[in-house]
Amino acid sequence: MPINILVRFTPAKPKAGEEVRVQIVAQHPMEPGTRRDASGKVIPADHITELNVLMDNQLIAQVKPGPGTSANPLFAFKMKASKAGQIKVTCKDLTGQTGERTADLTLA
Amino acid sequence: MDRRKFLKASAGAVAGAVLASQLTSGLAQGALEGEDLANLEKGLQQVLGKGFKDMTVSQQVKLTAPTIAESGANVPVEIEASLPAEQVKAIHCFSDKNANPLLFTVILNGVLPYYATRVRVAETAPVRAIVETKDGKFLMASQSVRVTVGGCG
Repeated sequence: MPINILVRFTPAKPKAGEEVRVQIVAQHPMEPGTRRDASGKVIPADHITELNVLMDNQLIAQVKPGPGTSANPLFAFKMKASKAGQIKVTCKDLTGQTGERTADLTLA
Repeated sequence: MDRRKFLKASAGAVAGAVLASQLTSGLAQGALEGEDLANLEKGLQQVLGKGFKDMTVSQQVKLTAPTIAESGANVPVEIEASLPAEQVKAIHCFSDKNANPLLFTVILNGVLPYYATRVRVAETAPVRAIVETKDGKFLMASQSVRVTVGGCG
């Protein structure tokens, strides 16, 4: 099952030159590999290792979360909304699953 | 750990010589609750190839984290640097007592020097935000987070 990613802009339609906060949430258990289940077995590590944020196919930010990132992690950035464009978020985890989401940034 | 020895020695000397108020102010500058520099040093060397002594404590880095977190599994952390965006290369975040001290690394390229996320903290320990600049400097801000339930066990 691909990783589900949600993207939200605050404000939703920024004015040109305004600061916009890009919030990304990935739905993922982010198992750190240190937790044990009820029978005492170690739950194998399974967390996102790389998340790329692209604006018009140009990489603007790359996150490398370790096991120390919480479940259903939030990744928030701020950028200057200089022009409208398409934000693309891609990620992959330790088991090789990937996720992708595009969102259009429109100016007011 | 020279710094630790120095701190212990100086704290002892101060306690013998002067008032208790001066002692507490001296400690407040030195040690954060749950500090574990040996574990942190290991992580820093592994990730950055630098030691704790290469980090510069800076007011330009602003770290926002709760002082007390109910659950270590979900601690909101916000890092902001008052530097021009083009000077900042990456933001790293460490926690002293995590088995793997590196919480995350973010490489910034065209966004403002700001990052917010939620992290897991194993036990009460300082969280350290390290901003790597393009000219190779490491600016650090630390804050101790008290954890009642660990996030990694």
